[in-house]
Amino acid sequence: MVDPCVASVAGAGKKFCAVQPHSMYYGIRDVCRSMIGVSAEPGVLRPHEFWAVDDVTFSLKRGERLGLLGTNGSGKSTVLRLLGGIYQPDRGRIEVRGRVGALIALGAGFHPLLTGRENIFLNGALLGMTTRDIKKRFDDIVEFAGVGEFLDAPVKTYSSGMHVRLGFAVAIHADPDLLLIDEVLAVGDSVFQNKCIEKVLTLNERGTAIIFVSHSIQAIERLCLSGLLLNRGRQVFLGSIRECIQRYYDDIGRTNLDQPHHPKAIGIGEAEISDVRVFQAGGDPCNRNIEAGQDFTIQFRYAFSRERSQAAQVRVWIRTHEGRDVQRLIFQEEAFPGGQGYDNVKIHRLERSGTVSITVRKPRLFPQSFCVDIAIAPIDRGVHLGGLANAALFNVIPPQSGHSYFEYGHTTVTDFDYVVALS
Amino acid sequence: MTTATGQACVGDERRAPMPDEPEVMVYEPEQRARLGVLQCWCLMASRLVRSRELVGRLFRRDVLAATQHSVLGLAWIVISPLVGIASWVFMSRAGVLSPGDTGVPYPLFVLIGATTWGVFMAFFASAAASLTSNGSLILHARFSHEALVTQQAAQALVSVTANLVVLMLAFLLFGVWPHWGALLFPLSLVPMLLLGTGLGMCVAIFAVLVHDVTKVAMTLLGLLMFLTPVIYAPDVSDPRLQQLIWHNPMTYLVAGPRDLLLAGSMGHAQGYAVSAAAAVGLFMLSWRLFFIAEQKVVEKV
Repeated sequence: MVDPCVASVAGAGKKFCAVQPHSMYYGIRDVCRSMIGVSAEPGVLRPHEFWAVDDVTFSLKRGERLGLLGTNGSGKSTVLRLLGGIYQPDRGRIEVRGRVGALIALGAGFHPLLTGRENIFLNGALLGMTTRDIKKRFDDIVEFAGVGEFLDAPVKTYSSGMHVRLGFAVAIHADPDLLLIDEVLAVGDSVFQNKCIEKVLTLNERGTAIIFVSHSIQAIERLCLSGLLLNRGRQVFLGSIRECIQRYYDDIGRTNLDQPHHPKAIGIGEAEISDVRVFQAGGDPCNRNIEAGQDFTIQFRYAFSRERSQAAQVRVWIRTHEGRDVQRLIFQEEAFPGGQGYDNVKIHRLERSGTVSITVRKPRLFPQSFCVDIAIAPIDRGVHLGGLANAALFNVIPPQSGHSYFEYGHTTVTDFDYVVALS
Repeated sequence: MTTATGQACVGDERRAPMPDEPEVMVYEPEQRARLGVLQCWCLMASRLVRSRELVGRLFRRDVLAATQHSVLGLAWIVISPLVGIASWVFMSRAGVLSPGDTGVPYPLFVLIGATTWGVFMAFFASAAASLTSNGSLILHARFSHEALVTQQAAQALVSVTANLVVLMLAFLLFGVWPHWGALLFPLSLVPMLLLGTGLGMCVAIFAVLVHDVTKVAMTLLGLLMFLTPVIYAPDVSDPRLQQLIWHNPMTYLVAGPRDLLLAGSMGHAQGYAVSAAAAVGLFMLSWRLFFIAEQKVVEKV
């Protein structure tokens, strides 16, 4: 006998309206049409409407684990809500067999004034459990949540971690056939996160199918066997989780590099930075995608507007796309007087103008987008002679080899090995 | 409609025919609108029965929450109508009001009318707020949203019951002995209850889309109250107003139960019967509308 699918999604679509007045108008129109038995034509897009989920098709059998990947706004949470029966599809068909456990917002329905005990029964009822079910599992829920001594205290006195633990404990003990997890494992401490993942995996061994949404690629890689990649609501890829993650990084890389970026001149105008490029060492200088773990080169032109009386220092910052500093690469024309300043500063003489190539060796950058800032300053003064903020964007893409992404998780390494060449 | 395994399913849910077989949920566009009227009502009723435990829990939640951090707690349910009586007694004795011949002490007359109208307003307001006041819950968990209406209605029922108790106390206070027909009084309020809930469910749907709807409805109902003989006898001297009053179906739903309580029979039984039938019909239609439309508006909560 063929094992029936726990979840079958066929060409599912969900549309939303981006403009509030239109949304109100369409809502009233649709409700009025349904009152008189006229179809609201849900499959047709009207002005200002867009498909948040568009033609998504997949199925999931008992014991399977699927990760949903995609950038913000790609439709992951909407897919979960469609599967959870919270939203109605505007196109296609969704069939779910068995009880669905939706870990979409832990503790939804918790009342802050009620005790933990009362909230367990309330939350359980919301998840479709009967009072008898809840009583049977009550001790397990309390033990898992670890809130025993606070059970009769109002939930508003709980820490956020306790709140989440209690919500997770109730949801996980509802014996779901399909478990939908939306980012909720990102909350709580690492001990609790591991405990949750273990519990999810235990349920999975018993046959519960899992659909997992997270921006934590480590968690996705650990928990999921297959992946579904969404881009602006459309299904881009469905297959092995490794390939899915690779496609995901290709995707975000393209998205970030496609975004317009605006370099901004900084300093007092006595030095100029131009023609900034970042590329894989020995590769195409026009290709800004760098394979994780591979050497890469930051290349730029510099020019001083007049003769200098002081030695200069060149500072290059590498930041994540969100603005977090990852690394600072520095070289200067002469050593600091008295040995002060940065350790191991590289010494290179600058001409009136020229090209600098800094090659970073074996960087441990996690696949994502980065940004480069460059500045030239006198070594004994803080003022910038000139420079370029947001000078260049580049992407670190997943390694082509079979390494795990965990190996590239250190984005705050501060001791990159690099060499400087001038021409 | 059939599932992938060939089993028939109704609407977006189907109960398993065999105890061991899991429930199958099918979600398709406009699937509820495609259901026949009878099929729709059967499904709605079964959903309501299945969510009875949730209704109980939500009711308990709101009662407990209302009594926490409150010194008087549930006493507020009777305090409000008692204060209402006191104010009408005061105004009556001060001679501010001259409502004509009401047959019984005026404060008692008003209290009966206000209790009847209060049934309508309590159920209307609770149903109207059912979706907008539970937006977060609706967006994060799947459950029958009728449970929210029912839970709110249960709260309104408690409040109405307290009002009836206060009404009985008022009868004792004024030394008026109600007619035996008064035993049917609670039953005669059912059309008001259904009308309030029905209109409230309609407003609940539209209020999700446009928040002004509730305010507009409350304002109009405030005006309607003055066109309904709640605080005055239906026989007024102005012929145009008289005509308006007798064309207002609410008149019969307010005057009928009051007649029953004071005289043991309804003076306009036919008008009451027609209005009651209309109220039941409106409730059934509204319930169906709520069932069909709530899926369309839930994402806008």
